Amino acid sequence: MDRLKRLALNEEGFAFDPETGQSFVVNQTGLFILKKLREGLSEEEIIRALTEEFEVDENTARRDFYDFLEQLRILGILEKGAEEVK
Amino acid sequence: MRDLKVGVSGINAVDNPGPGVGVAKSLKEWNKDIRIVGLAYDAMEPGVYMKWLIEKSYLMPYPSQGADAYLQRLLYIKETYGLDAVIPTLDAELPLYIEYADYLRDTGIANFLPTKEQFRLRSKERLPEVAEKIGVKVPKTVSVIDYKGLAEALNEVGYPAMIKGLFYKAYKVYNYQEAVEKFNAIVSEWGYPVLVQQVVNGEEINLVGVGDGEGGHFGFLNIKKLWITQLGKVWTAVTIKNHKMLEAAENFVSTFKWRGGFELECIYTPEGELYLIEINPRFPAWVYFATGAGINLPARLLMAALGEEPPRDWDYEVGKLYIRFTDDFVTDMGIFQKISTLGEV
Repeated sequence: MDRLKRLALNEEGFAFDPETGQSFVVNQTGLFILKKLREGLSEEEIIRALTEEFEVDENTARRDFYDFLEQLRILGILEKGAEEVK
Repeated sequence: MRDLKVGVSGINAVDNPGPGVGVAKSLKEWNKDIRIVGLAYDAMEPGVYMKWLIEKSYLMPYPSQGADAYLQRLLYIKETYGLDAVIPTLDAELPLYIEYADYLRDTGIANFLPTKEQFRLRSKERLPEVAEKIGVKVPKTVSVIDYKGLAEALNEVGYPAMIKGLFYKAYKVYNYQEAVEKFNAIVSEWGYPVLVQQVVNGEEINLVGVGDGEGGHFGFLNIKKLWITQLGKVWTAVTIKNHKMLEAAENFVSTFKWRGGFELECIYTPEGELYLIEINPRFPAWVYFATGAGINLPARLLMAALGEEPPRDWDYEVGKLYIRFTDDFVTDMGIFQKISTLGEV
């Protein structure tokens, strides 16, 4: 989770990694998930929060959440196969 | 200080820019009264015409024409115009300046350069030794002198591979035919040996600094290039703080007691490993980035050359952007006429 924690995030969804200089842009849903991950929330807590914040059913929220996690792994923001998210 | 005159080379601000204009800008920002003396190798180097920055320019003989002619030219400049210090910025000049650093200092031309032994560390053959001493990795590299060696080396490092000259030129190749073609190109231009190097995937990150010659330094700036030209020259970049690279740079200056400006080029892999790719024993062309980020490395180097104690603080913000852009201006033919006929203007 180190890399996730060190990302500089702004309210528009621009994320900058000060160690590598890489930058990413995420939408408001992505930003919401990144913030919750950094707060250390569990997967179930984040999925529940998504259903409340964005008025989507749980299945949709779950699918989008895992899709997003996979994107983070591809970008190296989350380690591959990492189990940090409980 | 008011009449300080400082010679700066590499004022070729073209598509493959030298560091000179960035050095000149930095010195002027430190002290607007400094007069920059441009040391040019071609009448068309743009710096010659940038009179708001470089007040006086001279055409220099090529270092390959011999030390006598070169030193005579510097002494002529000193006698006729004044020259208190020099900051050479081009690879091809450095051996000459380093060889005669003491002589120049004795004649009143201050400088702050690496030693001969430090200069030799830039050779790519020495990279594994340097990398080990500063605690980083180096891509698997094999030195070859013939086709048989080339084929064996490629079997060992696999494709894609980098084919490199000892000091200059690097090509990425994807098959044996390409490798042979680039091997021949390097041999015809730079001679033997040719290096075959493993390609390491990751982010290319760079660092500029000035070593104090005693194991300390007068500041670092760590960057990532965001956009490069087809020649591989940086066009936009961003400041970063990669702790492994900063630590490696501290080790580099303390282990080798590096004196003067330098640039380190590394690859930072997704696994968090740092590979050393290149050491440049001089400022890079983007050195003004350090000045813009609050650490005026050229001015600090000049202070050290003049025997003053430069500042050592180097805290800078991450996320500062460097933007290079093209510009143009119109001037008189007279400058071209004078530099072409008199060799100075």
